[in-house]
Amino acid sequence: MTQTGTPVDAPPSAEGGAAPKRAAPDDRRQKWRSRRYRWDAKFSPYAFISPFFLFFGAFGLFPLLYTAWASLHRVELTAPTDMEWAGLHNYTRLLEDDFFWNSLWVTFTLAVLSTVPQLLMAMGLAHLLNYKMRAASLFRVAMLAPYATSVAAATLVFAMLYGRDYGMINWFFGLFGVDEIDWKSGSWTSKLAISTIVIWRWTGYNTLIYLAAMQAVPQDLYESASLDGASRWKQFRYVTIPSLRPTILFTVVVSTIGSVQLFGEPLLFEEGAGASGGADHQFQTLGLYLYEQGWRNLHLGRAAAIAWVMFLILVVIGIVFGLISRRLRKS
Amino acid sequence: MALLTKAAWEMDRKDPGKRRRRGPKAGEAGGQQHAGKLTYAVLLLFTAISLFPLIWTAVAASRTNERLAETPPPMWFGGNLFSNMETAWSDANMGLALFNTTIVAGSIAAGTVLFGTLAGFAFAKLRFRFKNMLMLLVIGTMMVPPQLSVVPLYMAIAKLEWIDQLQSVILPFIVSAFGVFFMRQYLIQALPTELIEAARVDGASSVRVIWHVVFPAARPAMAVLGMLTFVMAWNEFFWPIIALTQENPTVQVALTSLGRGYIPDQSVIMAGALLGTLPLLLLLLLFGRQIVGGIMHGAVKG
Amino acid sequence: MRSYRTTRRAVGLLAAAVLGTGLLSACASDDDDGGSDTDSGDGGGGKTTITMGLFGTFGFKEAGLYKEYEKLNPDIKIKEDVIERNENYYPALLNHLTSNSGLADVQAVEVANIAEVVDTQADRFMDLGKVEGVSEDAFLDWKWQQATADDGKTIGLGTDVGPMAICYRKDHFEEAGLPTDREEVAKLWEGDWEKFLDAGRDFKENGPEGVAWVDSADAVYDGAIASSEGKYYNEDGDVIYKESPDVAAAWDIAAAAAEEKLTGNLQQFTKQWDQAMSNGDFATISCPAWMLGYIQEKGGSKSEGKWDVARSPMPGNWGGSFLGVPESGDNKDEAAKLVAWLTAPEQQAKLFAERGNFPSAPPAYDMDAVKTATNPYFGDAPIGELFSASAQEIPVQTIGPKDQIIDQNIGNGLQLIEQGKEDPDGAWDEAVNAADNALDQ
Repeated sequence: MTQTGTPVDAPPSAEGGAAPKRAAPDDRRQKWRSRRYRWDAKFSPYAFISPFFLFFGAFGLFPLLYTAWASLHRVELTAPTDMEWAGLHNYTRLLEDDFFWNSLWVTFTLAVLSTVPQLLMAMGLAHLLNYKMRAASLFRVAMLAPYATSVAAATLVFAMLYGRDYGMINWFFGLFGVDEIDWKSGSWTSKLAISTIVIWRWTGYNTLIYLAAMQAVPQDLYESASLDGASRWKQFRYVTIPSLRPTILFTVVVSTIGSVQLFGEPLLFEEGAGASGGADHQFQTLGLYLYEQGWRNLHLGRAAAIAWVMFLILVVIGIVFGLISRRLRKS
Repeated sequence: MALLTKAAWEMDRKDPGKRRRRGPKAGEAGGQQHAGKLTYAVLLLFTAISLFPLIWTAVAASRTNERLAETPPPMWFGGNLFSNMETAWSDANMGLALFNTTIVAGSIAAGTVLFGTLAGFAFAKLRFRFKNMLMLLVIGTMMVPPQLSVVPLYMAIAKLEWIDQLQSVILPFIVSAFGVFFMRQYLIQALPTELIEAARVDGASSVRVIWHVVFPAARPAMAVLGMLTFVMAWNEFFWPIIALTQENPTVQVALTSLGRGYIPDQSVIMAGALLGTLPLLLLLLLFGRQIVGGIMHGAVKG
Repeated sequence: MRSYRTTRRAVGLLAAAVLGTGLLSACASDDDDGGSDTDSGDGGGGKTTITMGLFGTFGFKEAGLYKEYEKLNPDIKIKEDVIERNENYYPALLNHLTSNSGLADVQAVEVANIAEVVDTQADRFMDLGKVEGVSEDAFLDWKWQQATADDGKTIGLGTDVGPMAICYRKDHFEEAGLPTDREEVAKLWEGDWEKFLDAGRDFKENGPEGVAWVDSADAVYDGAIASSEGKYYNEDGDVIYKESPDVAAAWDIAAAAAEEKLTGNLQQFTKQWDQAMSNGDFATISCPAWMLGYIQEKGGSKSEGKWDVARSPMPGNWGGSFLGVPESGDNKDEAAKLVAWLTAPEQQAKLFAERGNFPSAPPAYDMDAVKTATNPYFGDAPIGELFSASAQEIPVQTIGPKDQIIDQNIGNGLQLIEQGKEDPDGAWDEAVNAADNALDQ
């Protein structure tokens, strides 16, 4: 494979100098070629996107529609094909379902607790990494190590570190006379603990994204700012941040989607809690509640309705961010 | 005829052909000042925090179950690392699991990159009917909670008699909306539209354009997407646990069998987790700079 | 420039690796097909492989029973596929059953799920009552009935049962001034769970600092409910747990234990519980026969000789499982033979001797392996005699399809008291609320 900036091995020019005697077949060929060209231009876009939509249709759309259909029925995991029409009952009941509202609240608080510090820290670290320094790539690679760790492995380790009686974190606090904290059963402590897992795994990744964006900020902006006597902080505040707006928006969107779907960490954080998210459902996210209804309580119809509500929430979030980004682009 | 020109290649109205900086080094000029001691200190602290849980996994994996239940917790390596790894390896069918996971993650990464680039290119640079609507659909699919499709998917896989076969965990993930979106965002900027036009004027077919223009231009982003997808696919556990059994497991499936028995031996579980993570860490160690460069390269407006 | 070239090379390598593995995958899955065909087909000169789908610890392999069977039947090879927790195993099993795929030749079912499986999945299992060599008389009657549908089809054969006892730490008892001899200890709480709490109050007063009387309120509840006839369903299959006097009594005992902080606020089968066991952080634990194995493995050498086992306040049953053979299996006849053999009294007796899982087959109780069995880890306690006596007095409990879910939510409620988040009344309301929500389709 040669590295080609421009494709130059174009056959038409080579054939252009062919003998004029074979004008007639050449003409036909020309016609054929232009028809082929037309067809190619018209249909190739569809050819390019078709593999995606083919697979998506088979493995994404079909399940999606099936779940939509199932959410309108009473249907149990013990017999997933026996459906009894229930109309919108599975949706309307969610309005009065304390556990649903609880999981919505948990999802929201966990999203805030994990996203905000994570992105702020990433921003700060990116700023630091943007200085000229030694061992820059070492820092960068080390920061990606958590990203390469699976949710399962990470949660396993953190669950041990947060152990009540013999965990390292309580032992460490104990050195300063702090009493044992029951991380997993407290309403806020459990949320804090889970959000640290998320923060740990994703901060490095986001740092690199910010760093990249920072390095794309034109140098002369800083130069003219410092000529105007702007302090470092002011440069950061009035030059760096505004230039990073689209990137910030992107990371916020991705992190938000991720936190609304948060599932593996709370599921594995306390192995005895199953999908209940603790005795008080203190860390039962929407994803976990969905899972409990479908896979523990075996109510597929109800689980499907929760899944669709989750989906709609994300769509609304998507639209909101879309509007924000449009506004940003205009200004 | 007018229709033909209209249907042809889209002019990119935004900054056409604006060259992007290349290579992980290029950006360094952006940093204005040299780092101070405090900067190093903060970065070192953060690096330590990033690595500590991993190192402690290794420490826990090198101890006995009983020692892990004592205070103060162990802070340094014990002598059982290899015996615990051996137990994990033989109890959990690790050899097959690592092999399978390489295949699964590799295929998913290859599929996501290939199909993502094709579709991303079409959405970025070509003009066709329903384009915006289809793009919205792609973005919409990113919002679908993964737990949603498990039951119908399982029923479909069962009909096809794919249970316990690797394609059951490969095919449902072989395309990703994120991949399409990612490649589109990249190609809008990185692929000069004149380049495509020049090739078309020369009479190159779409396949040729893809091969000689799009792929070379997209290569850095393809590499990043491949890496990201590989890591994600490697660590996927929710669906594989349902579709596969211990007979033919991926790493994450195999790990679930370590906790079984009277003695869910924590140190063995940790050793297993370490075994399952090591290949990725190795990859990171070998290609770390490339991956970092790639993420940063592809990210700017990603 | 240099770094750019390395990038390219890295990418090339990666692409090659990825493409290579993609190709390999095609071959590998073909191989799998071929492999499983020769494996699962009967004839053809190859061995027949029987797969066992299990959860937790059945101990067949550890007790050498597979090896023995393979020796008796040279054409058979046995493999097991174990998922640690039943709560993960059971939904997967349902999924496999309803889609008729991914099933092992033999599938285990826990007693908390057996009623639901009998109710909804009976068509998908073989009638093991008709298999040669299987005799209804060889099993405890209630155990047999639990896995038998209304039409008389028996879809699972009992493996073990969980006759109750109480395990206790002699060293902690001694420190608290309580008796340590197992007969005297049993007398402390004979016939009444309330007396068990009294002893606990005494222990809390005089016992060692930082040691709880019992591991968890949930386990006290499980122990207490195990000795009553009523549970969550009535004979007609209606859910009555809210009105059941048996449930209320068991709840009150457990709630009192939680409220008075007699429990260690531990949840069973978690790391914290393991660690507490390893460090001897509680003095007693509800001890169905299968629990002995847990204690022994978790306690390790550190606790050797410190545990003993005494009769529980009232005889009862906690846990136990069944083995069933899915109708769709390729080797179902061979699998049924294996199940019949594994659950026969002789093998159950062997399993008890090796692993402590108590037989559901009364003929085994008279065999020496059971009758004279003692356990050195528990101070040579005569466990055979002790559990046989308990097993024969187990009340016939009415079980129902959603026992497990109700159990879980009641357990959650008790935890709320232990964690100091609710008083017993409030916790009961929470538990009922959650259980009703979980039951409602």
